[in-house]
Amino acid sequence: MMDFFLYSLTILSVSGVLIILTTRFRKMSESIFLISLILGCGLGFISAVTILASRTPIDYRLNFRMPIGEFYIGVDPLSAFFLLVITILFFLAGLYGYSYLKDHGKKNLSVHYALYHLALISLMLVVTAQNAVLFLMAWEMVTVTSYFLIVFYDEREVTRKAGYLFLIAAHTGTFCLWVMFLLMARHTGAMNFDQMMLTPFPLPLAGLLFVLGVIGFGVKTGFIPLHIWLPHAHPAAPSHVSAVLSAVMIKMGVYGLMRIIFIIKDFPEWCAVTLLLIGMISGVGGVLYALGQHEIKKLLAYHSIENIGIITLGLGTGLWGQIYHNESVILVGYAGALLHVFNHAVFKGLLFLSAGSVIRSTHTGEIDHLGGLLKHLPWTGCLFLIGSLSICGLPLFNGFVSEWLVFRGLFEGMFQFKMNALIFNSLGIISLALIGGLAAACFAKAFGAIFLGNSRSVDFTHVKENSPIMCVSMFVLGGICLWIGFFPTQMVSFALGAASTISSAQISTTIEEAIIFPLLKVVLVLIILMTIAVVLILFKRIAMKFLPIENAPTWGCGYSLPTRRMQYTASSFAEPILRIFRNVLGFNVEGNKPKGYFPDEAKISSHVLEASEDILFRPIFKFIEFLSVKFKIIQYGYTQLYLLYIFIFLLVLLVWKMI
Amino acid sequence: MGFQILLHIGIVIILSPLLLGIIGKTKAFFAGRWGAPLLQPYYDIGKLLRKGNVYSTTTTWIFQAAPIVSLAAVLVSSILIPMGGLKAPFSFWGDIILFAGLYALARFFIIIAALDTGSSFEGMGASREAAFSCLAEIVLFLDFIILALLSKKLILSEMIMRNILSWELFGPVLLLVVASYFLVLLTENARIPIDDPATHLELTMIHEVMVLDHSGWDLAYILYGAAIKLFVLGALLVNILIPFHGLPAIVQFMVFWGGMIILAIGLGIVESCMARLRLNRVPQLLTGAFVLALVGLLIILVKGV
Repeated sequence: MMDFFLYSLTILSVSGVLIILTTRFRKMSESIFLISLILGCGLGFISAVTILASRTPIDYRLNFRMPIGEFYIGVDPLSAFFLLVITILFFLAGLYGYSYLKDHGKKNLSVHYALYHLALISLMLVVTAQNAVLFLMAWEMVTVTSYFLIVFYDEREVTRKAGYLFLIAAHTGTFCLWVMFLLMARHTGAMNFDQMMLTPFPLPLAGLLFVLGVIGFGVKTGFIPLHIWLPHAHPAAPSHVSAVLSAVMIKMGVYGLMRIIFIIKDFPEWCAVTLLLIGMISGVGGVLYALGQHEIKKLLAYHSIENIGIITLGLGTGLWGQIYHNESVILVGYAGALLHVFNHAVFKGLLFLSAGSVIRSTHTGEIDHLGGLLKHLPWTGCLFLIGSLSICGLPLFNGFVSEWLVFRGLFEGMFQFKMNALIFNSLGIISLALIGGLAAACFAKAFGAIFLGNSRSVDFTHVKENSPIMCVSMFVLGGICLWIGFFPTQMVSFALGAASTISSAQISTTIEEAIIFPLLKVVLVLIILMTIAVVLILFKRIAMKFLPIENAPTWGCGYSLPTRRMQYTASSFAEPILRIFRNVLGFNVEGNKPKGYFPDEAKISSHVLEASEDILFRPIFKFIEFLSVKFKIIQYGYTQLYLLYIFIFLLVLLVWKMI
Repeated sequence: MGFQILLHIGIVIILSPLLLGIIGKTKAFFAGRWGAPLLQPYYDIGKLLRKGNVYSTTTTWIFQAAPIVSLAAVLVSSILIPMGGLKAPFSFWGDIILFAGLYALARFFIIIAALDTGSSFEGMGASREAAFSCLAEIVLFLDFIILALLSKKLILSEMIMRNILSWELFGPVLLLVVASYFLVLLTENARIPIDDPATHLELTMIHEVMVLDHSGWDLAYILYGAAIKLFVLGALLVNILIPFHGLPAIVQFMVFWGGMIILAIGLGIVESCMARLRLNRVPQLLTGAFVLALVGLLIILVKGV
């Protein structure tokens, strides 16, 4: 059991090389990819589950004999929880991707598969690295491999731009992380996390490190307003890559923050407030932007930001608990955040994969061009519905369980802490409620416009369900959604284990029972709900035997020639909500209205403006460009000259040191 | 336990359409008519149960699932609240979140069923319902926050069972909660001044327009669901208003049902003397409700619990 994780890493790295070597023999490289994916993810999964079940960490150390310390990886319950997310999602998305890309023309898929493995390995390393330098190396590998996965369709200019934006954003974040880890290393004199933990951090330094961490990790995670790369990169990538990108990759920022909290422990109070505020802004902002989107994958990308908001709310709650030393709140908050990480990975993975199926079948992702697909893609439609219900946090599905925990953490924090907590926690509760309502509106819009009614553009009657392998991946994810919705105990207890690792709070059986017991009652109520539903169905079935059933076209309210173009569109569905929030969002409406008694051609197009991109980042980048132009004077392109600069710089340093 | 649940659900099923009958009678009284009999809502539902179904060729299974899901969710939500002398069969830490979640589930299905017909009118109603319910939900949660702070509990039945002391201490706060919750109740149940259940102009409707294509058993389920929703949300309000608990069961029983009847008459009076608001005014009304609840929260913040 112990070394399964190492085997998994080895298998994945060796097979990655083999895939590249067998590029010429496509069948062979594909089968190597599949076999190694099953083995690697399977072993990783087993080791994660073992550690989560036993709640005891495992260490592997290898001395580098270098100034940067040792090659030290360790799997504690926190790492194992994320390892679980990574292995499940990469396995299912990989399987789907294999089928998704099968007839994909002349592209060299081996490179893609090898990079997929490399991304998997580097993610596994990120969550298990216990040394700052190793962590940053793995972090950088994740960035680079993600970049290559995103630019799969590099013949499109949009994709290249999106990839470039991602690369720049990610590196800005990494810069902050370097500074943060160096400061930590300077204060503690160590690079290993377990040694860093031993030194207490003074509160001001902890605050500074927290800010650096929030910026550094926040860029990857997509906190508003640092999220600008996210809505560009997700739609640009192939669907299975978007799935892992949204489900796993952006969660690494959450992991990073949790690891920082794990190391530093004592934070000033404003840190918890900041996390709660970030959670509220990202949550509400994300879902509002999502409502304004017309493209399915872009909509889902914004929903990732929303869910990161919910996770951050949980994280903030846990941190409040840590500041006030209240174990129950700590555990409920962190466990809610962690479980939502898992749940979001599952349902967002599911949604991206089913969106991919839709796009593959219909060749469009424009919501307002689609419609009526539930009849032609029955399974994809059902699974998309399961994903939608889960993401809205409705009972019966997994999203409800984690949102329940976050809600509970916020409420309990409100009871026990001082004035500040009361104010911010009640704000958090209200925004969480608002997020739930808006998400439901958004997914009613998405599901309704894509799968229900009639097609709004071309006829989709020829559209058929995709290959069974693609469906299998989605079925498993949908199954997990329902499984956690009905049997939450196992995953909640895993999440509690990982939560206690973050805070080093001991879980007493009473606390664990107090958290899990109400969830079992929830399940009982849900079982009653199902029973009632079954009884209602039976009554109706019996009655329908004696009563006539007719079919007719939808009632046009007296209009005799309704066409499918007259259906409500997704944009019009979202309009009332966007109108209510028009002061927070920016709108861009273009077009010419019909004029006169015999109007000629008229058109209208509207989209929601991306405020942080237009207002915040564009001016900053403009300024940087301006500065760069000014600095052009010293750039001549001669290597000798640059050597001279370096020499002068060293000289200045020496002189400065002597003074 | 099983008997309690059955009793609770049974009472709700049997008595909930009566509230609609009382509202109807009150409105008739104000209009100077005799009006339909008190049991008219039962006759309506009974009539629908004897009719066959007409399904639009555009619809899928979603259209048929929605009435069942929404009725089941609303019905099951009733076991979380006490009803005069009868304790809630299920009450546990955090059940308020489930309570709100069940209503969201019911609403979600009704909305997508409306979109399933492909009718632009129903899409319009669905869109409005989605928008207004978002606002109603945050008001509801703000009320929950205040009630939770006052009782230091997260259990619905204990949060709403106030005693006379808390009315003495926090009377203004509770009044603000009641006022804002009343507006939520009106919105959730599509009553005047937010929506008019009796209107016949599709362009102005919210809730009724979403179920234009439903017929027969499906429509009966939906109407029953609406009646139960009014009953359960109304029972919540009556429970908050009753200032004493722990009396003999028979007294409790009478007080509670008296309260429900007064509530129904009150709703009837509101509907008789108000006109429906213009649609773009509805968000303002709900914002008003939000502000009322917020003032309540501010009082608590200043005064301390």
